[in-house]
Amino acid sequence: MTDAATARARFRRMAAMRAFDEACLEALRRKAIHGELHVGLGQEAIGAGMAESLRPEDAVVSTHRNHFHGLAKGVDRRALLAEICEREAGLCRGRGGHMHPFDPATNFSATGIVGASIPVALGYAHAFRLRGEAAVAVGVTGDGGSHTGGFHEALVMAGAANLPMVVLVENNALAISVQFDDVSPTETVSERAAAYSALGLHVDGTDVDAVAETFARAMDHARSGGGPVIVEATCHRFRGHFEGDPEGYRSKEERQRVRDNFDPLRLYRHRLAAAGVGEAEADAILAEEKSAMKALLAEVLEMPLPDPAGAMLYRFVEEARA
Amino acid sequence: MSAVAERANDRLAMPLPATIAEAIALEMERDDTILCLGEDIGRAGGVFGTTTGLQERFGSARVVDTPIAEMGFAGMGVGLAQAGMRPLVEIMFVDFIGVCLEQVYNAAAKIPYMSGGRQRMPMVFKTAGGCIGSAAQHSQCLWGLFAHLPGMKVVAPCNPHDHKGLMAAALRSDDPVVFIEHKALLLRKGRDFRHHPDVPDGAYTLPLGEAAVVREGSDVTLATLSASVEHALAAAEELAGEGVSVEVIDLRSVVPLDADTVAASAGRTGRLLVVDEDYLSFGLSAELSLRVIDRLGLSGLRQVERLALPDVPIPAALSLEKAVVPGPELIADRLRQMAKGV
Ligand SMILES: Cc1ncc(C[n+]2csc(CCOP(=O)(O)OP(=O)(O)O)c2C)c(N)n1
Ligand SMILES: [Mg+2]
Repeated sequence: MTDAATARARFRRMAAMRAFDEACLEALRRKAIHGELHVGLGQEAIGAGMAESLRPEDAVVSTHRNHFHGLAKGVDRRALLAEICEREAGLCRGRGGHMHPFDPATNFSATGIVGASIPVALGYAHAFRLRGEAAVAVGVTGDGGSHTGGFHEALVMAGAANLPMVVLVENNALAISVQFDDVSPTETVSERAAAYSALGLHVDGTDVDAVAETFARAMDHARSGGGPVIVEATCHRFRGHFEGDPEGYRSKEERQRVRDNFDPLRLYRHRLAAAGVGEAEADAILAEEKSAMKALLAEVLEMPLPDPAGAMLYRFVEEARA
Repeated sequence: MSAVAERANDRLAMPLPATIAEAIALEMERDDTILCLGEDIGRAGGVFGTTTGLQERFGSARVVDTPIAEMGFAGMGVGLAQAGMRPLVEIMFVDFIGVCLEQVYNAAAKIPYMSGGRQRMPMVFKTAGGCIGSAAQHSQCLWGLFAHLPGMKVVAPCNPHDHKGLMAAALRSDDPVVFIEHKALLLRKGRDFRHHPDVPDGAYTLPLGEAAVVREGSDVTLATLSASVEHALAAAEELAGEGVSVEVIDLRSVVPLDADTVAASAGRTGRLLVVDEDYLSFGLSAELSLRVIDRLGLSGLRQVERLALPDVPIPAALSLEKAVVPGPELIADRLRQMAKGV
């Protein structure tokens, strides 16, 4: 059974992640984000579960739905939110935006191109091996990304070289409108691990305790020389693929059913209770995280946008130095 | 209201994607070798709605929802074409061509030539380009890239009428055609277009490679395509109020490139501005300028200018995006400067 301190910490992490993406939604409503926005609401247990076993020297390469992975890796949330809100003080000076956060300080990066994350993780894994470091490279993808050539090629290479790479598949069973069952040749993604001499693990991605345990096992396996691991975490996307998605492919009732039955924060309440953390304390944690993000968003919205005069900067090192 | 007026009204209320879906449906009806492959094109009808209703009508074998496996289904298109079918392959955003360019430029584009003309390649790569605020990996146009690689026709229409006619022409072409829609236009309805919102009901084709003069003028010739035509028309209207008369030409395709129409106009006005939402260097703007100079001679023009995306990835921040992506204000500014010149 999970002890009170651990349960509390896990719940707080999930609450912080939810509050972060809710702040992003608010920023969008206030027109501080003018491009596409993909939030991870409903998938908090995965980000929160992975956070515990990520070390500073590990790397995470994420996707278009990357906020929780960045927070899990320890990216500064003020800088991340400022980047999402296109500010000069953002993580990437407002150049990258929400799909393209890069933080060399924490070894965190992402891509808006589906499947393109895993080959980059492979590169980190090779570097770690080459330098004799005990670090692990985590490549994140959705179920949709698991069908790409990049996913396959990177796992072929990682498997052949027994590299310290963990591929985390957030399987929310949807790639925009396309249902996993309609296009996958296998029932799960994790069972494909055998083809790459990798370890395949499957976990309920709405259960933060299960994710934390499974992800820790995967990281230990890769860190101790066991080779690559595929961790498939099943989950549900609470909102449209992007904000503004008309969601013609699923009914309002279906979406509501998912929200009612698979909310990882609500599902965790009984574990909190079993660990001796009461409803009032849980509510207080939610409220604290919410108000912290509210304050942070207010601060970020005061920050200036990048000066148009600098639009051409940062392509080449000379420009970055100037 | 008369039936004719009512019909015209329906057309004006129709989103551009519905017109594109209609064009594809009409071709699929007349030719059962046409089939469509792509992400989200079936059940969802396309992320912008450009294939709405097609799967219900033609079934899931002819309108295939693919996994995110562009290399797989782009190459599948090549094989289908070689097997006697006429595939339309949708690459959701043109930026994603990076993961499957192999099948586009090494296979589809080259096989007709490599086979000594024995193998036809009747396929359409349908995709959406252009900037609507989604930063470096989701905002590019890239028609210059396809045009640089020999063997593909490259089309980028600007209004409902042309989308319908050029889509039909692309699907009937025996050559590979890259059909690049603009995301900002896909969000519009017929009535939002300044030019040619009217669309005939039945199937029709437009020739690939014929530019259109969309506004007549005498002081400056402005050649462009896709959404920039709308921006150019807005800028031309503004300049008209300042006494500058701008002729606006919609190129409609990059390959073939109708330099004759542009040269005929620039020969009269003496000033040419090429506006391009694609990258500046090694692209459409230089190519067209030179082809016009070839036709008119070095002394045939007083001014030749280019306004394109400077060679920089498209930034996320709106303040930066506005500074680099040619919109109506940047175009009007440049026209004003040119009119002040010799
Ligand atoms: C190579 C490529 N193809 C298509 C897209 C468009 N696209 C963006 S996200 C997405 C769906 C991704 O599904 P999944 O990997 O399951 O992630 P989820 O959105 O469910 O988190 C698609 C098709 C893209 N960004 N890159
Ligand atoms: Mg998914």
